[in-house]
Amino acid sequence: MLEVDAGSQIALSREERERVVRTLGREPTAVEWFAFDAQWSEHCSYKSSRSFLRRLPTTGKHVVLGPGEDSGIVRLGAFKGETYAIVVAHESHNHPSQVVPFEGAATGIGGIVRDVLCMGARLIGLADPLRFGTSTYSHYVAQGVVDGIAAYGNAIGIPNLCGDVFFDPRFDDNVLVNVVALGIVKENEIIHSKAPSGSVGWDIVLVGKATDRSGFGGASFSSLQLDAADAEANKGAVQVPDAFLKSVLMRASYRVFDVLRSEKITAGFKDLGAGGVMGCTAELVASGGFGAEIALDKVHVTDSDLPAAVIAVGETQERLCWVVPPQFTPKLLRIYNEEFNLPGVARGAQATPIGKVIAERRYVATYRGERVMDLDIGFLTGGIKYERPYEVPTPPRAHAPARDADLSAVLPRVLGHRDVCSRAPIFERYDAVVRGTTVIPRGYADAGMIAPVPDSVLGVALGLGGNPRYGALDPERAAVQAVLEACRNVAAVGATPVALTDCLNFGDADDALQFGEFVAAVDGLAAAATALDVPFISGNVSLYNTSANGKAVPASPIVSCIGTVADISKTATHALKSAGSALYLIGARSNATGGSVAAAVSGFSESSALPVDDALVARAQIGLVLDAYARDLISGAHDISDGGLATALCEMAFAVPDRKLGVCVSASSTRAGDVGAFGAWFGELGGFVVEVAPAQRAAFEALARERNVWFAHLGEVTGEPALVLGEARFDARALYEAWDAPLRGFYDPPEDDR
Amino acid sequence: MKPKIAVYVFPGTNSEDETKRALDDAGLEAQLVPSSETGAAARGFDGYVLPGGFAYEDRIRAGAVAAHDRAMDVVIEAAERGKPVLGLCNGAQMLLEAGLVPGTGPMRRPTAAFAPNAHGGRFRSVHVHVKLAVTPSRSSLLANLPEGAVISAWAAHAEGRLAASLDELARIERGGHLAFVYCNADGEVRADAIPNGSALGAAGLLNVEGNVLAIMPHPERDAWAFMHRESATRARTAADALKTAGGFALFASFARAFVA
Repeated sequence: MLEVDAGSQIALSREERERVVRTLGREPTAVEWFAFDAQWSEHCSYKSSRSFLRRLPTTGKHVVLGPGEDSGIVRLGAFKGETYAIVVAHESHNHPSQVVPFEGAATGIGGIVRDVLCMGARLIGLADPLRFGTSTYSHYVAQGVVDGIAAYGNAIGIPNLCGDVFFDPRFDDNVLVNVVALGIVKENEIIHSKAPSGSVGWDIVLVGKATDRSGFGGASFSSLQLDAADAEANKGAVQVPDAFLKSVLMRASYRVFDVLRSEKITAGFKDLGAGGVMGCTAELVASGGFGAEIALDKVHVTDSDLPAAVIAVGETQERLCWVVPPQFTPKLLRIYNEEFNLPGVARGAQATPIGKVIAERRYVATYRGERVMDLDIGFLTGGIKYERPYEVPTPPRAHAPARDADLSAVLPRVLGHRDVCSRAPIFERYDAVVRGTTVIPRGYADAGMIAPVPDSVLGVALGLGGNPRYGALDPERAAVQAVLEACRNVAAVGATPVALTDCLNFGDADDALQFGEFVAAVDGLAAAATALDVPFISGNVSLYNTSANGKAVPASPIVSCIGTVADISKTATHALKSAGSALYLIGARSNATGGSVAAAVSGFSESSALPVDDALVARAQIGLVLDAYARDLISGAHDISDGGLATALCEMAFAVPDRKLGVCVSASSTRAGDVGAFGAWFGELGGFVVEVAPAQRAAFEALARERNVWFAHLGEVTGEPALVLGEARFDARALYEAWDAPLRGFYDPPEDDR
Repeated sequence: MKPKIAVYVFPGTNSEDETKRALDDAGLEAQLVPSSETGAAARGFDGYVLPGGFAYEDRIRAGAVAAHDRAMDVVIEAAERGKPVLGLCNGAQMLLEAGLVPGTGPMRRPTAAFAPNAHGGRFRSVHVHVKLAVTPSRSSLLANLPEGAVISAWAAHAEGRLAASLDELARIERGGHLAFVYCNADGEVRADAIPNGSALGAAGLLNVEGNVLAIMPHPERDAWAFMHRESATRARTAADALKTAGGFALFASFARAFVA
């Protein structure tokens, strides 16, 4: 048997080690050391972030299950006497993706799919917010990440609903790969990630891939800084994805859900992620108020030499764990092992009982006749908490002066900027319409939309927000903006924002300045979500996104918004619909252009203040857009973000097949008060552009006044492929080329590598 | 009684649900059948559909392993007895790998393949249109479509580029095997409408007898009005949103094959 040396391989601090020894009154076994290392990692315990996350609003009338289990759940609506709910999880797989991009990104999807699956849900959608660097190595990271997402997501047959991509040299050493997954479940058929009441003596059944050496130390690895010298060593900590096995595992689990339902059995089901068999089984039983006795010898493994610690805490992919009554166990094993033939799909894959739920609140693991773990389960899973010192950043708050703008010089460069240009070469790699439920595919609008209940017109939209250019300047306003943009994206297609998730990607918890950015961002998220009355129902924190030289990524609070709609026929994309329609601006423009794309391409200092996006104003704008959709007053809407109003108008024209329509907008209509042309056309303060048919103009204007929302009549949709913006006139096809071309070479070798 | 259609589900298949829905809406009775079922019951269906996905994770080549599965014996036997067989995407790849389509080789040897896409063999998911390139009466599956019918669908594959010898391509083109070619929304057959570099612009192929159709893009993922956001057929009411549209025409025509 191979030995693992706990002393040199665990990331616990000296104080943490002393606390373990003191509390146990003895030196832990090697397996116990690794168990504490995983459970007390930042990744599992949120030991630095927990106390701040309490500031986020998490309750609301649509919330079925808030943060706490593997996923959050929000109500969708009723159809044929059943109430449906949407299950959502949001995570990062940053560190693994920097080291082995393809596997890192693929296992990111694999993990989050299990988080949703284990709530008893069927998977219905994915989304990927990505932040890439600009170095030669980063170029390969970006290609590998996109390939990994495509390979895994496409194979398991889940449509990719939306995503966003930013490129910035500050991500050279730390790529951010976030992933959101959605599932659907009937509200009365939710399965919880805990041992049900009265489950003492029930079987704990491990399902999936045979445990191997991959992913050992993953939880603590993802809480460490990346050092190039350790890169080779770190690769062993990344798990190996198997999308084929997952595809079969998902379908077999759906079958188990059906059988459990028909036999009226309440079971517990949980994903194996951080901390492996130990982490999953301990949390399953602890959250039910029980303990567990696990026989590590019974865990199916690839290799009889695996050390007990690897079996206990190794993070081999594609595994889940059930807690079921013993009389059901044979049926469960038959479904996985015979009907869906797991052993025939991947070598050694199977379902196998590995232990029992016990009444005593202890976690006991045995291996080859030896008791390798025997711990108070509350001490093991309760984690620890730190009060980290932090220093809230002081962002620039001085507004840029009113500026004039030379549209013909600036607009093509804004459209061709890496954060604005077409993402088609990336998102075309992801299957948009598998399952045959897609209403609005990714790339067609601000949010993606599906109709996940067959024969019903209930719709679910998913939108994202989060801008690293803002995060680097002002973490708090960037967080506010992330929430508002995610919600506006969902409202732009006609869906009502009902829930948020977040993934908070930051630097070091033990660097007061970097941790201060985290604290400021949480405050921003809380303020915006509270003002909008949309709660956070799930989320994740990824700290230590810092390179060896101590530099952190730009503060990256990334937010997703789940929207629901009662009738998918009352929704639309932002594509211009018909010549002669009127275009309206919702939301006055501002001179504040800090962090904007136009400031960057114009050589202005980016570090003036970000615009103040008032959440209550945004709430009123969203209310207007949704009401206008419901009354059939608008035929499309687009949110204003990167590149400002001018870019939003261009994108509405670009979305028309063959660019057959254009716009004619007067310069004066875009301005109010002392706003200069630069801020008016390119300022990135949130808002909407909506298209209104001539016959609906009076009703739309009356509604906007009634709701007390600022609006202006911009101009008209025209029947020619031209964009007339004030004095400037552009050929729509030439601008489209400027916008469409930059990422076409995404798969070419980087320039300095050719 | 409705004709009964087997939708074969292999390990790794992922499009069985929307395929069944499209067949059911066309008035057929579709049943999901695990590929492990190859006995008498599996042989009793009136027609067979091989749906999309990544059967056996596309080991070796897309469709290559499934083409040697026992379930494929059932499909071949059905095809030889003249039953309608439809392969969609991964199912189309299986039919070529099994030599059923175009079916011009000796001993049912494969003579053509859906090879890795041009430009690096990368998976692409894009909306496409395909045009009927044979006389409708050439195939019982297509007989209900108008001459030159244009159908909308989604391409979603990494291996969809028709590849064969020049002789075989000539046979495919002249022998009535070239069922569908890529075109633009107006039905113009243009090189820039081909998403994958496919030879002849081929999107779908027929066998000799015309009862087996292999089509790469997915009409079942563009078969209801709620999916048509940009077109004039965009649904304005809830009832209209659920009506069939676009790619459904292929399933409607397929269903008519059982009436004759």
